[in-house]
Amino acid sequence: MSVIAPDFKFSKFIQSLISDVVWFVLILSLIGFPLIMMILFFIPMPVIDGELLTPFLAFTYLADPSRTLPIVQSFMMTDMFKIMAFPGFGFAALLAAGTIFVERKMLAKLQLRVGPFYCGKFEGILQLMGDGLKLISKEIIIPAKADKPIFWAAPVLFVASAAAFVALIPVAPGWVVADVDMGLLAVFAVIGFFPIVTILSAWSANSKFPFIGGIRALFQMVSFEIPLILSLLGVVMVTGTLNLSEIAASQSSFPWILFLPVGAIVFFITMLAELERIPFDLPEAESEIVAGWLTELSGMMYGLVQLGTYLKLYAFAALFTVLFLGGWNGPMIVPQFPMELVTEGITLGPITAKIGGLEPLLTQLITPEMINGVLMFVLKTVGVIFFILLPRGVFPRIRVDMLLNLGWHKLIGLAFINIFIALALVYAGVLGPGGLQ
Amino acid sequence: MADATFLALTVLTIGSAIAALEMRSLIYGSIALMGTLGGIAGFFFLLDAPFVALFQLAVYVGSIAVLILFTVMLVKRELIFKMIEDRRRKFAGIGLMLIIMVSLGAVFLDSGIKTITTDEPSVDFRDIGKNFVTYYWPALILMGLVLAGSVTGALVLARREDVEDDQRTS
Repeated sequence: MSVIAPDFKFSKFIQSLISDVVWFVLILSLIGFPLIMMILFFIPMPVIDGELLTPFLAFTYLADPSRTLPIVQSFMMTDMFKIMAFPGFGFAALLAAGTIFVERKMLAKLQLRVGPFYCGKFEGILQLMGDGLKLISKEIIIPAKADKPIFWAAPVLFVASAAAFVALIPVAPGWVVADVDMGLLAVFAVIGFFPIVTILSAWSANSKFPFIGGIRALFQMVSFEIPLILSLLGVVMVTGTLNLSEIAASQSSFPWILFLPVGAIVFFITMLAELERIPFDLPEAESEIVAGWLTELSGMMYGLVQLGTYLKLYAFAALFTVLFLGGWNGPMIVPQFPMELVTEGITLGPITAKIGGLEPLLTQLITPEMINGVLMFVLKTVGVIFFILLPRGVFPRIRVDMLLNLGWHKLIGLAFINIFIALALVYAGVLGPGGLQ
Repeated sequence: MADATFLALTVLTIGSAIAALEMRSLIYGSIALMGTLGGIAGFFFLLDAPFVALFQLAVYVGSIAVLILFTVMLVKRELIFKMIEDRRRKFAGIGLMLIIMVSLGAVFLDSGIKTITTDEPSVDFRDIGKNFVTYYWPALILMGLVLAGSVTGALVLARREDVEDDQRTS
């Protein structure tokens, strides 16, 4: 039984949250607002649209959508929003969290088990929240002879590298955190940081199993980086750019997987190896070396590494989507929003509800094209994630010599074949200038 | 802004280079070396050469530093290194470094690069590619041959089926 909350009940938890909110609102309205009013009374206020901005007027602005929606819109165009919420961390973390739950449930179904079942009323749907709470509330145990600075820094660095990877992924036209001209090179540079963090974390734990796992991870990641980079050069050759947004935009009529299937297959296999997923999960082989390089991590440090791993999974799947499956391109399935509802308002009998300020938001920022692009991107990415998860329920782990043989021997050869295919397509005039695109 | 970034990068690069030399722990030394190489990548970014900078990150920080880390971790330091350190060697090293820096500085000052224009557009990597296949084609072919040779050598080394079969039977 848990020591921290011996009689934990979800209804009690919700009840305590509600009581907190009630106290907050009560204190704010009895003490906070009068205090703000008193302070604002002594500050000279500006004149806006010919009327003095009194404190009362300022508060009415907050309740007026035509005043607040432009503020929301300008906030959505800032870099801060992009990094934190939509194409950046929040969006990716949401997809990653969904991936964890779907993985557990889907594997259980594949292997005729039940999977998470008791958390939440329906099919264990709150299992992830429960796990998160558990990880946050658990004690962090550091091994006595660990190298403490590196051991503490490694999980944070892992999440930071994964977030840097996520930041380079374009989700919809114009919706990308860092639109770098050398996007693909930046991806290669970021991928190079994962083995460093892994081996440092493994070494600093000062324990056998993490070190063995770390060495294996290093072997695997460094040797599979070469076919990974080589397999993507074909796409660069046929598009003539390294910018990920331009690569995605260049596939408006057909995805590159039609022309470069060999490269796509090589990239998918190297992706599995870089992500340390079954059948290439030697670094965390739980039947041999406990949990590999994650063995000594506990509490939220483990949680951070797990978050980083799934962010990385999302980022790799999204990269596959952008490079080979056409990114946000796809059939337009989102219907046009009836704009007269916004411009003229909704009329119900004698009442007309009209929200001002909504029109620029819907015509400039959240257009149907953008929603459609995001939908297409998410559908394709989820499909790729599904194919990444699938081998875990099917394949056994392979031996390390087979792994290195596969990476150095077969995949590099196939990647070169892919480059020659791309060259032939460009020189024969099928693709590129004068060809199909 | 650029000056402040330049100063910060300089402090990072030189500081971590000194740390890489002076650290007692080899692991921390190689981490400091990573800082130095990353700082040099930062200089390339500052000089509007993101192509070179990202290659610096991918190759030096991502591969060479990992190689050094990997080697250091598999080595027992006490067994192969004998510490020889006295004041004379230290001052000789500092003197040598000063001589090299002064001579390099003299070369730079003599070469006519005294002013740097900022706000230039960054070098397009397509131009680099064009130059490579037109004017510098012998260098490109030489590099291609060297790389192909090294890749083939790596493949041959990775093959070694005789050894693997022996290991499997035993």
